[in-house]
Order: sequence, then structure tokens, then C-alpha cells
Amino acid sequence: MKQKFVACALAASLGGAFALDAAAQAKPEQLVHQRQSGMALIGWYFGPIGAMMRGDRPFDAAIVQRNTAYLEVLSKMPIEGFDPSTKDTPASSKGVKTATKPEAFAEMDKFRKGMEAFQGEVAKLAQVAKGGDQAAIRTQFGAVGKTCSACHDAYRVKQ
Amino acid sequence: VAAMEEKNVKVWDAPVRLFHWALVLLFAFMFFTGKMKGNWMDWHLPAGYAILALILFRIVWGFVGSTHARFASFFAGPSRGLAYARNLLTGGPAHSAGHNPLGGWMVVVLLLAILVQVVTGLFGNDDISIEGPLAKLVSKSVSDRMITIHYWNFYVLLALAGIHIAAVLFHWLVKKENLIGAMFTGVKRLPADAAQAVAAARFASPWLALVVLLVAALAVYLVVKRPF
Repeated sequence: MKQKFVACALAASLGGAFALDAAAQAKPEQLVHQRQSGMALIGWYFGPIGAMMRGDRPFDAAIVQRNTAYLEVLSKMPIEGFDPSTKDTPASSKGVKTATKPEAFAEMDKFRKGMEAFQGEVAKLAQVAKGGDQAAIRTQFGAVGKTCSACHDAYRVKQ
Repeated sequence: VAAMEEKNVKVWDAPVRLFHWALVLLFAFMFFTGKMKGNWMDWHLPAGYAILALILFRIVWGFVGSTHARFASFFAGPSRGLAYARNLLTGGPAHSAGHNPLGGWMVVVLLLAILVQVVTGLFGNDDISIEGPLAKLVSKSVSDRMITIHYWNFYVLLALAGIHIAAVLFHWLVKKENLIGAMFTGVKRLPADAAQAVAAARFASPWLALVVLLVAALAVYLVVKRPF
């Protein structure tokens, strides 16, 4: 048990170190691309669930379960692309456009907490989805949406 | 003094009063649900449809309703508005049976601003899970722009509501004219000469108001659900 824990910790720290290393080596425009791709996929897999919640398409527990399982992993990805080195990308000569406000970098601790709140609620949603209870999914979906808009309102330029 | 004699006269019909307070409650509700987000948004959209129905009702009622509900009776030109404002500030008599000229402008501006708010909401999306019922009819970028207008116009509405309340308080505290009470009871206390003019006011049937409201609600239903 203890060995397993050590192995896990080692793997996690290696993984973490590798991730940090990858971020450190990546060019700012690649990092922006990373987070935008992550966000696009998150939007993609939330889309059908939102449509079900609105009543635009019939509720299908299997799709909700599949998508929320994807989302639980996806939700952890974009923060990596919000590297401080991307702070000045709107002005970059590569023509990268981002909707991230400078406040996100200035208040990185708050921003990170917001991301973690989102990850936590998505993980709960994935858990709730396994039960297949539409009402419970709906309630938890609202909780996720709240964490989305918290950061979108504070750190995302209105389109 | 004979000139100081005052009379109670009915100026606001029940539909206008109900409309006004229903709108106040819904405005507060929209403010709350819009800020809370999450599952509260489940109620934000239907309440928006209710507001749209009320606004449509009020616009039609402004043409077919009781005398003081009609736009023609209170939508004054700029010269009358300015003259009224001057009179108000210099302390001259400034009683109006229905809406005073400045209040009349406020009615129209508020109605338009709320209409903008509702329409941009219908076409908007929150980039997460919520879509106005008409968002599918336009491109994503148009929908995004709509919701940005929705976002900023809210502050316009807040400012207008603030001015509206400040004006009513000014009438109450400075001009000693209780407009808030009148909007509850429908009755204003007016100088006898002004009261005379009001006696000529016609009151439309509340049944007509009900029919107009139902038609407005049906229109909103058709726009939102688009069953055809």
C-alpha cells in the first residue's frame, strides 16, 4: 500500500514536472492554442448536455455519462495553457487572438481557484451522471455552469 | 385659499397599475437570477418571456387603453418637456393628471430599453449552456454580440430605474406629490382646476386589457416556441 502510494506520488510529480516542463518550453502561441483547443472541446462535450437540459433534445443518460467522463479529464487541461508567458499574446506578432483579460494573469491565484472550482463541480457531475437521475444531473449541471460563468465574467473579454 | 382646494381623482386604470408593479417585481427577479446564474437561469428565460408579453401589452394599451395610458396623452414634444422641467425647478405648479411630460419620456425610454434587453436576450447565448430561443436563427458571432448588448444595456436599465425612482422621490419629498401611492390606488390628489380636466378621462374596459394581454402572450409563445 505504502509502496503503491509512493509510486503514485512519484508518477504524479514526474507527470507534473513534465507538464511544467512542457509549458516552459512551449511558445506562447502554442500555449494559447492548447487552452483554446481545450476550451473548444469542453464546449463541444457540454453542448449536447446543455441542449438536453434546455429540452432541445431528448435526455439520454448514456451520452451524459460518456461526455461528463470526457469532461472530467478535459476540465483539468486548459489551466496549463494560461501560462504567465502568454500574458502579452494579444499583441504578439503571430496574430494570435485571445479573449483572456490581463486580470487572469494578475490574479492568477484567484483564477486558478476558479478553475479548480470548475474541475471539482465537473467531477461531481460525472459522478452524478452515473446515477442517471435527470433531476440530479440538472441541479449539478447548474452548479457547473455557475463556475464557468464566474471566470468568464471576470476574466474573459465579452465577444 | 380657493386655489389650494384639492380633489381626489382616479387617473390610473387597474391594467396600468398591475403592469407597472408586475414589471417592477420581474425586473428585480431578472436582476437576481441573472446575477446568480447556474440553475436560477432556468427561471430567467421564462420570466423574460413574461416581460416581453407585458411590454407588448403596454405598447398596445398605449393606443387602445384608458386616456392616461395612451401615448398620445403623455408623449409631449421637447418644448413642453423643457417648459415643464423649468417650471419644476423654479418651483412653479407642476401637477399633471397623468404622466407629466418628463415622466412620459421616461415611460417611452424605459419601454424601449426593456424591449432591447428582452430581444437581445432572445438571441443571446452564455457560451456555456444557455441559449435564447432565437439564438439558432443567427450566427454565433451575432448571438455573442447580442448578449454583450444584453450585458451593457442592463446597466442602462439600472441607471434609468435609478433616475425614475429619484424623480418619484423628488415629487414626493419636494413637490409633496405622492406618485407612488397613486400607482397603487390609481387615485391622485390634484388641484381642483387640474382635477376638472381629468374628469373628462375615459377608462377602457379591463376585459379589453385582458384580451390584449392574452394576445400578447400568444404572440410571445409563437415567437419563443415557433411551433410552425
